[in-house]
Amino acid sequence: MTKGRLHPISIAIREMADIFGHMGFGIAYGPELEDDWHNFTALNVPEDHPARDMQDTFWIKGEPGKVLRTHATSVTMRKLEEMAKTGATEMRMINPGKVFRNEATDMTHEAQFYQLDGFAVGPTGTVTLAHLKGTFDRFYREYFGPNTKVRFRPSFFGFTEPSVEIDVWFEAPGKKGQWLETAGAGMLHPNVIKNAGLDPEKVQGFAFGGGLERLLMVKYGIPDVRLFHSGDIRFNYALDEKPV
Amino acid sequence: MKVSLKWLQKYSDAPLPDATTIADAYTFHAFEIEESKGDLMDVKVLPNRAADCLSHRGLAKELSAILDIPFKDDPLRAPLPEFSKTDALIVTIEDPKKCSRYMGALVKGVKVGPSPAWLIEALEAVGQRSINNIVDATNYVMLNIGQPLHAFDAKKLVQKDGTYAINVRGAKEGEKITTLGGEEFTLHPNVLLITDKNADAAIGIAGVKGGKAAEVTTETTDLILESANFDGTSVRRATQALKLFTDASVRFQNRPSPELVAYGMRDVLALITEIAGGEVVSIVDEYPTPTAPQSAVSVSLAKVNGLLGSNFSREEVENVFKRLALPYMVVNDTFTVTPPFERTDLIIPEDLVEEVGRIIGYDKIPATELSPIAGTPDQARFHGIERMKDQLVEQGFTEVSTQSFASKGDITLSNPLDKKMPALRTSLTENLQEALTQAKYHAPLVLAPNEKPKLFEVGTVFPKEGEYLELRMTERVPEWGDKADVVDNLSVAKLEDYGKDYAPVYYELGAYKPFSVYPFIVRDIALWAEGAEQSEASIEKIIRENASGLLVRLDQFDRFEKEGRVSYAFRLVFESMERTLTDEEVNSLMAQVSEALTKAGFEVR
Repeated sequence: MTKGRLHPISIAIREMADIFGHMGFGIAYGPELEDDWHNFTALNVPEDHPARDMQDTFWIKGEPGKVLRTHATSVTMRKLEEMAKTGATEMRMINPGKVFRNEATDMTHEAQFYQLDGFAVGPTGTVTLAHLKGTFDRFYREYFGPNTKVRFRPSFFGFTEPSVEIDVWFEAPGKKGQWLETAGAGMLHPNVIKNAGLDPEKVQGFAFGGGLERLLMVKYGIPDVRLFHSGDIRFNYALDEKPV
Repeated sequence: MKVSLKWLQKYSDAPLPDATTIADAYTFHAFEIEESKGDLMDVKVLPNRAADCLSHRGLAKELSAILDIPFKDDPLRAPLPEFSKTDALIVTIEDPKKCSRYMGALVKGVKVGPSPAWLIEALEAVGQRSINNIVDATNYVMLNIGQPLHAFDAKKLVQKDGTYAINVRGAKEGEKITTLGGEEFTLHPNVLLITDKNADAAIGIAGVKGGKAAEVTTETTDLILESANFDGTSVRRATQALKLFTDASVRFQNRPSPELVAYGMRDVLALITEIAGGEVVSIVDEYPTPTAPQSAVSVSLAKVNGLLGSNFSREEVENVFKRLALPYMVVNDTFTVTPPFERTDLIIPEDLVEEVGRIIGYDKIPATELSPIAGTPDQARFHGIERMKDQLVEQGFTEVSTQSFASKGDITLSNPLDKKMPALRTSLTENLQEALTQAKYHAPLVLAPNEKPKLFEVGTVFPKEGEYLELRMTERVPEWGDKADVVDNLSVAKLEDYGKDYAPVYYELGAYKPFSVYPFIVRDIALWAEGAEQSEASIEKIIRENASGLLVRLDQFDRFEKEGRVSYAFRLVFESMERTLTDEEVNSLMAQVSEALTKAGFEVR
């Protein structure tokens, strides 16, 4: 029998999960229909704060307090709460999954897309911004190839302090290299650690998140983000696959 | 925030470097640059710095710290004058939670007219239109130090016993106001208004926009100037309800310090009396609960390096606070910073760590690999899901991904993007059937003639009982036994056990090859070949050479032998990236193919 084809996102997440797996990261899941606490408030993004404008949100009719998650950092929050319950002081997870933003769609924007969010926490001093850099340095080298470089730029997210944007230098085959904005990240804000029920004096860590489709678009030259969730099998066959 | 480089230069004696250097300085140490064109630079000020950096003064200060060049004539460090008060103007605030401070000034005898050239030039440099010297002065001071200001025509207010009275109060249900520009708004009670108390009439939407009723015109001689601080939440709700976003509302939403109010008043009075004349009759400062000075924040050198993973010295860290002109003390390698009033973002030690990281530069942070973690990372559930997928792929199924939004469902969005898709899907059935219909149509492009498309999707569905991860196939898998259904709830399946020792199949993908948005045309051709020398390969070669570049797929789908001859059948798929093909065009290509095959000794049937 002729084999069918996996969706390119499945193929990508397998590869990313493998790379992060070698760095000690497990995989965590959480609901897509999330409560305000895990999506915003616990993450230090209070109601009526302009920071909420950074992510256009879908709200649920008749259920105030419920949202379609705007990022998978909500899963990070749930895992941190779990750590508080079990008394763990160390955890590393990636949370690949679908997220939603209420914004008009075009070639580079979709209202629903995948994000690769994740975090690493450990006893104070063991997980630093330098480790965030080291983690992404290795991740991009293994995912994009040995010529990639990583740089940080200052940014702002309610749930991290300091906050950075992660850019990667990528040279597509036959093309000129360029810096790409790939993820937001930073050191988990003490309020977030506190909200999870952990002690910010005892644990610290980094969190990150970025769109998945964008990475694939760059890596494989896919022109339109809307192809990913169109249900069109021609998309699966537009990328030749070779088992490794 | 649009800034003019010439304007920034006012804060430095040394000439500023070129635009590229300035853009890089901001990009790697403070904010992204949206646009840089000549003298204009559009700086994307981050939300935590909007309280002080939506201003030329704030951005110039940043630049001075980043480039380590002296900052001169800081308007926020220059002393404030004594403001003198008479009975000519009184101000009342009904809810100090929504308006923590309101300064009003009565200025008489101004001459409204065009602004001086330097002012027109400064405003136009940042994309603002010059209106008149009064309005321009309020805008200039706001763009310079960040304090929103407003000027009312005093004579359009009612004077009682020689006194003008401003009252800051919530709107009455259904109260109307016409703003500058002539738009009328019907207000909700939580919108805060500036009113003429003697007439109980609205003259402005607090922190958002002034009203037409007290507009400054060329006839205006007396002004009431407003420099105030309105609550961010209140302003934010008003702007969202009214869909009215202004330079003032953006600033108030980000909660600038109420201390800034007096600096705004000082500067706007100085500028107006300079360019429009007039006499300051009275200045009222209604400030029920003055904001306490910012608390000092301490951070140790060990904490700085422990969070950043750096190895910065005491001197390097100290130098950052010096460059930012933040008052500080160092005792035993612990830095205690007392933030100036405008730096409302400096609250916890981590905020100071960020200052150190970004000013020294994140390029100075090493890349360190995490040390190994105890135990094996938990990816069992993931591997369980992927094992299901691998099984289906083995059985000829192709995985698709479809939209989570649906026309009907148990859970609906209060703000759907597409009004026709207001709900969340309760099952993958509908989307999968639709994808299958499409797949059947597209099958000749991607599958061999004897294959039919079989699809599956793994996705979250949202029935009223609660969301779960559904696996759904377009048909049963016979190999999975009689009991196997086309659907499975992966949220209840024991996937951890199923996946814990499984390694998923990895693939390398090639570059994306675009497919056409135009329809394709399928043609079959059957022929007799005489002997073994007329191989399939040679037939395929002839077809490809004669069918033109529009042939996108060629499959052999039949072969049998009879009386020493071999019969072959091929399926040809034609498609253009640029247009819809016509039957005639494809017929003529097929005729070409037939002719070439005949010439080569085949008998086309």
